[in-house]
Amino acid sequence: MNVKIIRLEGNEFRFILEGVDVSVANALRRVMLAEVPSMAIDEVIIIENTSPVFDEMLAHRLGLIPLVTDLESYVLPEECDCKGEGCIKCTLTLTLEKEAEEEGVIVYSSDLQSQDPVVRPVSDKIPIAKMARGQRIVLEAHAKLGKGKVHAKWQPVSTCAYKYMPILEINQEKCLRCGDCVSFCPKKVLAIEGEKLVVKNIFDCSLCKSCEESCRFDAIKVSWDDKSFIFNVESTGALPPSDIVRVAINILLRKLSDLEEGLSIAVKEEAH
Amino acid sequence: MIIPIRCFTCGALIADKWEEYARRVRQGEEPKAILDSMGLKRYCCRRMLLSHTDLIDDILPFSQKIRKEEEVF
Ligand SMILES: [Zn+2]
Ligand SMILES: [Zn+2]
Repeated sequence: MNVKIIRLEGNEFRFILEGVDVSVANALRRVMLAEVPSMAIDEVIIIENTSPVFDEMLAHRLGLIPLVTDLESYVLPEECDCKGEGCIKCTLTLTLEKEAEEEGVIVYSSDLQSQDPVVRPVSDKIPIAKMARGQRIVLEAHAKLGKGKVHAKWQPVSTCAYKYMPILEINQEKCLRCGDCVSFCPKKVLAIEGEKLVVKNIFDCSLCKSCEESCRFDAIKVSWDDKSFIFNVESTGALPPSDIVRVAINILLRKLSDLEEGLSIAVKEEAH
Repeated sequence: MIIPIRCFTCGALIADKWEEYARRVRQGEEPKAILDSMGLKRYCCRRMLLSHTDLIDDILPFSQKIRKEEEVF
C-alpha cells in the first residue's frame, strides 16, 4: 500500500492510492462521506425574527453553514458524559443579533458570534437573510458534532470520489501523428510535441476511450490499473482535506478492532 | 429567493460566491469566465449561481408593510 500526493492545496486533495483492492478504496470513501464527524448548527432558538426569511428557513440555512471544526476539543453528543443533553464538551453556542437601520441589510455569517473563537463559519461572506428597515433577528444556535450519515450538513467533504489509474499505451511506430485523438479527447490528455504523440496529463483521463475509437491506425490503447486509484477529496472547509483522510483511516481501524474484539468474545463464549 | 448556502448536488459551499458573481455579471463579464476564476469546476455548482434569481429584493417591501400594519394595531 502506497500513497502519492498529486495535489494538496487549500480544500482540495488529490492522491494516488496504490496496491489496494476496490473494496478498500470504497470503504475509505464511504467512511469519509458518512463517518468523519464535523461541526454544524443543530438547534436554533429564535427569539425574534421579523425578516422575510421564515424561522424554519433561517434555521435550515444556519444548519448548512460549514463550521471550522476542532475534533480535539469536542466529542460527539452520543459519546458525551451528558448523554446527549448538551454540555460544554459537546455543544457550542453561537448567537446572532442584528437590526436593520436602513433598507436591505444583509445578515452575513460574520454576524454569528461564536463562544469558541476556533469554531466559526468557514466564510464570513455567506448571506443568511436580508432585512428591510426596522426588521430584527435575534437568535441562539447550538452547534454539535455529527456524522454525514445522519444529515448531509455534517459531511466534511463535498466531493469524495476515486477512479482507476488510467494507462495509455501509444504505439509510436503505428502512429502517424494525425492528431485525431488529440482533438477527440474531451479532457485534453494528449498532445503532439515535436514529432511524437505524448500523454500530457494522465490524471485527467476519464477512460472514455474516445482516443482509441478515433484512431484509424490502432496506435493507441486505453486500459487501467485496477489496483491503483486516483482519489479526489474536496473539503467543505470544516476540516483540512488531509485530516479528513487521516481521521477516516482511524475510524476504519477502530471499526475493525471493535469487530476483532466482538469476534474473540464470541469465540470465547462458544468454547465454554 | 435567496441564494442557497450549498450546492444541492455535491454540498459545496456556494453562497459566499454569489455577491461577487452577481456584481461581475452586472459589470458585463462573461459568466463562464467568472465561474472559472472562482474555482467552480463541477456543473452542479455552476448551475447554482448561473440559474439563481435573487427574489428576496422583490419580497422585502411587502414584509415591511406587514410589519408597519402590525405596529398600527
Ligand atoms: Zn455533553
Ligand atoms: Zn456542486
